[in-house]
Amino acid sequence: MTTLSHKPASARPIPNPERSLITRLNMGSGTVVGILFAVITYYLLRHHFGSPWRVNHGMDMTNTHFVNVTILCTMFAWSFGFLVGIGALIGPFRWLIGKDLTAEEQLYLAGDGQGIKRYFKYCTDHKVVGIQYLVGVMAMLGVGGTMAMMIRTNLATPGSHFIAPIIYNSLVGLHGITMIIAMIIVSTGPFGNYIMPIMIGAADMAFPRLNALSWWVLFTAIPVLCSAWFLGGIPTGWTAYAPLSDQAGPGMNAFLATIIIFAVSTAVAGMNITTTVVAMRAKGMKWNRVPIFVVGATISVALAIPAFPTFMVAMIQTGLDRTISTGFYDANVGGSGWLYANLFWIMGHPEVYVILIPGVAALMEIAPVFVRKPLFSYGAAIAGFAGIAGLSVLVWAHHMYMSGWMPSLNGPFMITTEFISVPTGLLFLVLVGTLWRGKPWMKMPMLSVYAFIWDFLIGGITGIYLSDVPADNYLHGSMFVTAHFHYTLMGAALTGAIGALAFWFPKMTGRMLNDRASYISFWLIQIGFNVLFLGMFMAGAAGQPRRVADYAQAFAHANLISTIGAYSVGLGMIVLLWAIIHSWRSGIIAPMNPWGSKTLEWTVPYPVPLVNFDEPPVVTSDPYNYGRSAK
Amino acid sequence: MAHHDDQDLLPTPGQRVGTFLKRKDVSQTFVLGIFFTAVFVVLGLWVYPHWMPNVMSKEMQGNEDIMIWFTVISAPIAGVVLAIAMESFINMHRGDTPPPEDGPGIKTHGPVVVIWSAVSVLFTIVAIVWGITEMNTWSSDALAGSNNALVVDVTGSQWNWSFNYPAQGITSHELNLPINQPVEFRVISADVNHSFWPVQLGVKVDANRLSTTIARTTPDKLGVFDVKCAELCGLNHAYMETSGHVESVADFNSWVSQAKATGGTQQ
Repeated sequence: MTTLSHKPASARPIPNPERSLITRLNMGSGTVVGILFAVITYYLLRHHFGSPWRVNHGMDMTNTHFVNVTILCTMFAWSFGFLVGIGALIGPFRWLIGKDLTAEEQLYLAGDGQGIKRYFKYCTDHKVVGIQYLVGVMAMLGVGGTMAMMIRTNLATPGSHFIAPIIYNSLVGLHGITMIIAMIIVSTGPFGNYIMPIMIGAADMAFPRLNALSWWVLFTAIPVLCSAWFLGGIPTGWTAYAPLSDQAGPGMNAFLATIIIFAVSTAVAGMNITTTVVAMRAKGMKWNRVPIFVVGATISVALAIPAFPTFMVAMIQTGLDRTISTGFYDANVGGSGWLYANLFWIMGHPEVYVILIPGVAALMEIAPVFVRKPLFSYGAAIAGFAGIAGLSVLVWAHHMYMSGWMPSLNGPFMITTEFISVPTGLLFLVLVGTLWRGKPWMKMPMLSVYAFIWDFLIGGITGIYLSDVPADNYLHGSMFVTAHFHYTLMGAALTGAIGALAFWFPKMTGRMLNDRASYISFWLIQIGFNVLFLGMFMAGAAGQPRRVADYAQAFAHANLISTIGAYSVGLGMIVLLWAIIHSWRSGIIAPMNPWGSKTLEWTVPYPVPLVNFDEPPVVTSDPYNYGRSAK
Repeated sequence: MAHHDDQDLLPTPGQRVGTFLKRKDVSQTFVLGIFFTAVFVVLGLWVYPHWMPNVMSKEMQGNEDIMIWFTVISAPIAGVVLAIAMESFINMHRGDTPPPEDGPGIKTHGPVVVIWSAVSVLFTIVAIVWGITEMNTWSSDALAGSNNALVVDVTGSQWNWSFNYPAQGITSHELNLPINQPVEFRVISADVNHSFWPVQLGVKVDANRLSTTIARTTPDKLGVFDVKCAELCGLNHAYMETSGHVESVADFNSWVSQAKATGGTQQ
């Protein structure tokens, strides 16, 4: 996507802060320094701890233990080196030596007047960070989706040898973690960074440098994750249960390092977004006038702040087990795999709502604009989000009903889990209440609202069976679970993100998303998606375990249906990608407010000025005062 | 007294409901609601019995019933949601410009929010009570059968299952069970986590290293069932399966004595 036709906001001359180091740093210098750090670390540690190319890695755990030190340290060195090389530490360093950045330097860091180059720099402008996230997310979804196509191709027929089981298992894990990371940032990354500060009338995020940091830290995780392929893959699935993860080869380290780096990125981003919304809203934007997408994104990242550190801890402990044999999760020396499972799911269940909430919130932002009615019961929407976020930290062990850990707690966890139906029901109420008696303007963003309602309804109802302990005896670990969570994460959250992209595309690119291509992609994706996971529900209900490279003849029809649906989704995604690239380059020029929305981001022109607003806006009502004679 | 006159002019709640029901969009939504509810009821009743494998124990029947009846109970809620969505979809505005006029400015509706929340709480309570009752039935059945339960020690290892019958003194890679006798699986792993899943018996429990986990059921139909691993356990996870048999007591006993005759190990 290097063909963005962004013009600088104003034609001011490029500030030249005395030809300082800052002007020379970019992604290239980051990569060079990162590789340099990695190579130095590798050669320093190689003699003590061995290298992955010198030991016989495989099932022999005693040999692989120390080599993991080399690999992990090399990965972290790359990440740190990249950040040094791109200039992430210049700000704090200058502050430490008492020579804080000058105003010109800060303006330079914000990318003022640098055109396309700023997308490859440590740029503090939230709009640049938003575009970086958008392109990054699309790349991740592309890679994860390609892996999904390979998985479905292998599963098209029983006994297929398209992919060897060892590679298949890695594909499952890498598809999982790539998609999870992509889905966590899919709404809050692009739209939370680009749109949200404008929506609340702020000039930028509260901590612009941390904003750049969150993106570039995440960026360094991508090569680390990709390196798994060259180190033997991730044979554990994205759950990385111990002791399977202890047994896994050097590729496992890539997973650990990715999660640890990613956790830093989300913590930084979460703090930043939360602070921005709390502290930087426009004058008059009381809490009951905050657009619902902002509320949803804030609750989502606020939920991530306590959730992801436990994932990081789980991974640090896995790393210690794998390097110096601490045995946290090794029952043979007094550890417990259940400890890992608990830490993982204490992150894992809040995490699905971290993914879901911003997607739903974006659709709630969209629906009133296209139905030309107020958002139905803003209070119920907030109660829904808050209720889900609150309950989501009390339900993690419903992933462990069948693990044997504390069967006596299954009842209590079933109760908390079932109660999530209540706030979830409120989200449906808000959406159908907004649709009620409306004549919706049927554009791509609005279509996504309808797709969401159908998909999330199916995801929700199947979730009720899964939350039930007896039924979970049958369904746990089966394809049924896989189908269920794809309905919620893909059918609901990704549909929401695609709707949000269609909605905010004019503000982010200055052009309209091509209607015809986006409709074609919409129907290919939605019909394909429902066929795909209908087949998977069938296979799961019939008793096919998940994460299997092969299956019995009895599941042949269901899997073939699934694969056909998957190809339709894949085709739809290609059409959507084409629509995005084509529209971005040469779509119809968008007016300032193409949808007639009343939120603040539509009051600024494209390209959005560096500080967003010429004069700080003053908010005098909530953004949903559509409608004839409100009764 | 003018205030009093105004009140007289307002329609009574009964009249208001009457006018509401006579509206065209309301009656259309109502019909759509009935239709979608019926679709979900039929789906629930038809789909799971067709998709799911043979029911070979009371537990499996319980699981299937939950999937059927939870679908049926949630059908009216799904029906309302889909009906309202569909009604608005039918009335869509097409074209490149926004609709000429706004819809009604309904910001919220207290009674609707309250009724909706109450219905979902009620629904949740029904689901919870159903689940807890079922769990209690399982535990009381297990307790009642614990005296004469057949104990099978199940060991999962990469990538096969082995079954040890301590009372009978045999070890086998084949799982044979007598009909109508409670069975207690004591499950453990020799290496990484597995999950012991005798599919048609409707129970499942993970195999962990050094911690025994327990699953109980009573097979009540003769026939073959699948034993699978439901937790990713490495390279050949997909192939970590075998079949089990529910046999008549006589057949089971002759299998046991045959196994004993061949030295206590039956492959």
